[in-house]
Amino acid sequence: MMQDALGHLELRVMEILWAHGESSVHDVVGRLGRPLAYTTVMTTLDRLFKKDLLMRRKWERAFRYEPRWTRQEWERKRAGDFVAGFMASREASGDLLISSLVDAVGKYDTALLDDLEKKIRARRRELGRRGKT
Amino acid sequence: MTLTYLPRLLCIGLATLFLVHLGLGMVVSAIAGPAVRLGERIRPNLAARYLLALRMLPAAGSALIVLTVCLPSYLWLEPEAPTERVGFGCLAAALLGVAMWSVSLARGLGVVAGSRRFLRNCQRAGRPGRAGAWIVDGAAPLLALGGIVRPRLVISRGVLAALSPEQLEAALRHERAHWTSRDNLKRLCILLTPGILPFADCSRTVERGWRRFAEWAADDRAVAGSARRSLDLAAALVRVARMNSDAAQFLPVLPLLGDADQLAARVDRLLRAAPLGSPAPGPRPFVALSAALLTAGALAAAILQPAALYSVHVALEHLLG
Repeated sequence: MMQDALGHLELRVMEILWAHGESSVHDVVGRLGRPLAYTTVMTTLDRLFKKDLLMRRKWERAFRYEPRWTRQEWERKRAGDFVAGFMASREASGDLLISSLVDAVGKYDTALLDDLEKKIRARRRELGRRGKT
Repeated sequence: MTLTYLPRLLCIGLATLFLVHLGLGMVVSAIAGPAVRLGERIRPNLAARYLLALRMLPAAGSALIVLTVCLPSYLWLEPEAPTERVGFGCLAAALLGVAMWSVSLARGLGVVAGSRRFLRNCQRAGRPGRAGAWIVDGAAPLLALGGIVRPRLVISRGVLAALSPEQLEAALRHERAHWTSRDNLKRLCILLTPGILPFADCSRTVERGWRRFAEWAADDRAVAGSARRSLDLAAALVRVARMNSDAAQFLPVLPLLGDADQLAARVDRLLRAAPLGSPAPGPRPFVALSAALLTAGALAAAILQPAALYSVHVALEHLLG
């Protein structure tokens, strides 16, 4: 499972890779904007690879890394993990003393949601027309 | 088994608690389905109130009967014999009574601890916003009100970004309505008391009905008769449900199926041609309390007649077996 907690350096490295795409350790060191040992950056990239955030391939005796997910996908995954934690705690204790706007955290039929949105738009138009007359 | 005066009183009290709970539970479970259907024909706040009363009836009724009938009858009419034999049936019923209340109290306290932990984590992960709300980073579809004594509103940045100011206002009014009607406290009462039938999972119909009508009542109070606010709340519901679906795609565990019928029913109610009125004010608390006290007083006066107490005592002697 993807780890959602990233350290400062890990986040900076991820930002470089999201901005520039596939890069070698050397490229990342050059783009960091502060002097850091090559081995430190290499260890950080290896840790991110093990956290399933990066993919890597061998190129001329060195690894080149690229993000497994776009930044948006990663944000959504973090949200998913957060919700999973919420759900897990609800399962563990049976319930929580929390009133949520939408009770069940789960998957809804997209067609149903589209249909409901259509109905809301139609009703808003109807109200708008009534307001004008 | 032979027991002295006070342990015998405890044993008979617990056994009566269990048996009366069982009897009332059977009655309530027989009328639960029709009661929930009836709730759809009356105002949601009233329906939520009477379903809550129905859910609490076996536990509250049995406790009331033990305190107002069994204990006075025993204390009045039981001779202070040093020891008396207590039958196996009475002992078993008393133990089941202890088990029934222990299980529900443990469950309720577990939920309180879990909720406190959840809110503490939100507090750690978030930053304080306006009006005591906590803003949590990330796109999680989270807009919730926690806490029993001090309300704590938790909102994720994702929800803040996804809802328009009008939709957010309607959603916050909805949560405020939950706070005004003390829904979290009612939820705690439900969790702390044994189910309708002891050790049987048959309270769900009534609890689901209560939750549904409590949501509808909070919707009605949030929109307060404004058609535009109804639309904003309906749009906020659909938006957050869509965020739920998006987040559920990435869950590492099998996601729950969102209750589509409930969502559609809530949105349809909000879109009805006639704007929903704010709920009619119910009986004021002191009026309701006075009525309850008067009724209880009248019942106690009727029950505490010597003849009635004597009949109860005879029944208790049979139970002691």
